[in-house]
Amino acid sequence: MNNPHHLNPTSLKSRFTTRFLRALTKIRAQKPISSSSPTEIFRRYRRIKVAADKSMAYSVRSRRIWSKAMLWKLRSRSYRRQDPCSGRRSGKTNQAIMKKSSNENTTTRREDGVGFVEEADELRQLVPGGETMNLCNLLDETAHYIKCLTTQVQVMKKIADFYSF
Amino acid sequence: MDVTLLDRQQATYPLELCASSVPLFQSYLGSGPIVELKRPEAYLSGDGFHEFVYFPVGGGPEFGDSEKLNLVPPDAAPGYCISRTSSCQMTAFHAAAMKEEREDMILEKMESTPGSGSRESFTKRKAEVVAERKSKDKRIKGELEGESEVKTKCSTQVSRNSSKENSKACEVQKPDYIHVRARRGQATDSHSLAERARREKISKKMKCLQDLVPGCNTVTGKAGMLDEIINYVQSLQRQVEFLSMKIAALNSSAEFNVENLPIKELPSYVANFPAAAKLPAMPNLTCFQLNSMQKEAVNCMLNETMHPPLTATEGIASASVSIPEQALSSSTITLQPFSTWNMDPQGLYNLYNMGFH
Repeated sequence: MNNPHHLNPTSLKSRFTTRFLRALTKIRAQKPISSSSPTEIFRRYRRIKVAADKSMAYSVRSRRIWSKAMLWKLRSRSYRRQDPCSGRRSGKTNQAIMKKSSNENTTTRREDGVGFVEEADELRQLVPGGETMNLCNLLDETAHYIKCLTTQVQVMKKIADFYSF
Repeated sequence: MDVTLLDRQQATYPLELCASSVPLFQSYLGSGPIVELKRPEAYLSGDGFHEFVYFPVGGGPEFGDSEKLNLVPPDAAPGYCISRTSSCQMTAFHAAAMKEEREDMILEKMESTPGSGSRESFTKRKAEVVAERKSKDKRIKGELEGESEVKTKCSTQVSRNSSKENSKACEVQKPDYIHVRARRGQATDSHSLAERARREKISKKMKCLQDLVPGCNTVTGKAGMLDEIINYVQSLQRQVEFLSMKIAALNSSAEFNVENLPIKELPSYVANFPAAAKLPAMPNLTCFQLNSMQKEAVNCMLNETMHPPLTATEGIASASVSIPEQALSSSTITLQPFSTWNMDPQGLYNLYNMGFH
C-alpha cells in the first residue's frame, strides 16, 4: 500500500490520534446511537470534548506546565463526579500544591516591568495552568499550547470529514 | 614606527583573515614588544583603551603581540577575525564602535560553527566575550569622560583593569548562560542588566510566537501581538469545541462500524485522506444539512461558547434563545472547507471569527 505520508509513530499527532480514536470508540460503545435528541448530542459533545483534551494532555504527559495543569483539572473533575467528599479533599491538597508553586513563581509575575499586564492576565486565563507562570514561561507554554491545539484541530477535522462520508 | 605600520595595516588589511595569513602577520609584528600572554580567562589590555587578546581554549599557536594589536582566533572557525585598535590614532568612540562590530562578528561566527566540539568551552568563551565586553564597555564609558587622563595613566589602568577582568571572568564562568550586553550609555548594575536580559528573552519569544500565529506580521508592538495571540488561542479552542460538536452530531446520524477499522492504521488512513477529499463538494453539503434537532444542539453549543453554562440542563434551557440564522449559515459554511487538507489556517481563523462574532 502506497503511503506517501510516512507518519512518525512517536510524533505528537499520531499519539493524539490513537488516543482520541480509542476514546471515541469507547464513547460510541457506551451509548446507543439511536438517540439523537439535543440533550444526547450535547452530552456526547461534552464527552468528546473532554476526551479530546484528555488525549492531548496525555500525549504531552507532564512535560509541560499546561499539560500538567490540564491533567490535574480533568482528574479532579472526575474525582469530584465520582465522590464529592474525596473530591474536596483532593482539591484541597492540590490547591496547596498549586499555591506553593505559584508562590515560587509569583515573585516575578506582577512586576514584569514590560507593561502589558492585562493581556498577560488574559492569556493566563486561556492557557491552562497559566496563573502560576511568569511572563517568560507563559510565552513558552503558549507557543507549545498553540502547536498542540493546531494538531488537535487538524486531526479532529480529518476525523469529522471521515465520519461525514 | 610601529604606529604608522599599523595604520597602513588597518587601512588595507581586511578584518577577516584566513588561518594561513596569521603567521605572516605574526612575523610582521615580531618587532613589537611581546606581551606576556595569559591563559584564556584573562584578556590583556594594552593601554587601557579597547584591546583584548583572545586565546583558544584548546591551546593554539601563541602569537607574539604588540600592545596595539588584537588577535581573536575562535576555536573551530574557518577563519580568523582580527580586531585591532590603535590607542593613539583612533578615538575612543570609533574604537568602541569597531570593537562592537567585531565582537558581533565574533559571536556570530561562534554561533554559526555547527556542533562545535565542546559545547562547554563554547559557551564559556561566549560568556567570556560577554564578560569582557561588559567590563570593557564600562571602561569605555569611564574613559570617554577622561580621555586625556587615560593616556597618561595607561600603565596603572592596565594592571587594574586586567585584575578586574580576571575576577569578572572568573565569576562569569560558573553560570555559563549570561548573554547580556551592556551598551554604551546604559546602566550597568546587575539589576538593570538582568532586566534587560529578561526583556530580550521575552522579545525573542514573542518573535517565535509571531511565526506561529498567522497574520501577525501586520501588527507591531507587544500589546497588539499579545492581543492577536489571545484571539488565535481563543479561536483554536472554539474550533476544537465546534469540531467535537460536529463529531458528536455526525456520530449520531451516521452509521458505521468503527471496530472494523484497525485503530493503529487509522492515523495513516486519515493522513491519506486528501485523495478522498477530492470528491465533489456536494456530498459535503448534503451531509451537513442538519435536521432541526441537531440544529438545536448546535445552538446549545454556540450558546455555551458564548456564555458557558454550569450544567447541561442550563445549556438546553438557553437554547430557547434564538440564534440568528446567519450564525448557523456561517457555521455551515465553515463546515464545508474542512474537507480540504491544506486548509489555510488564516482563512479558517477568519471564518471562525465571522461565525462567532
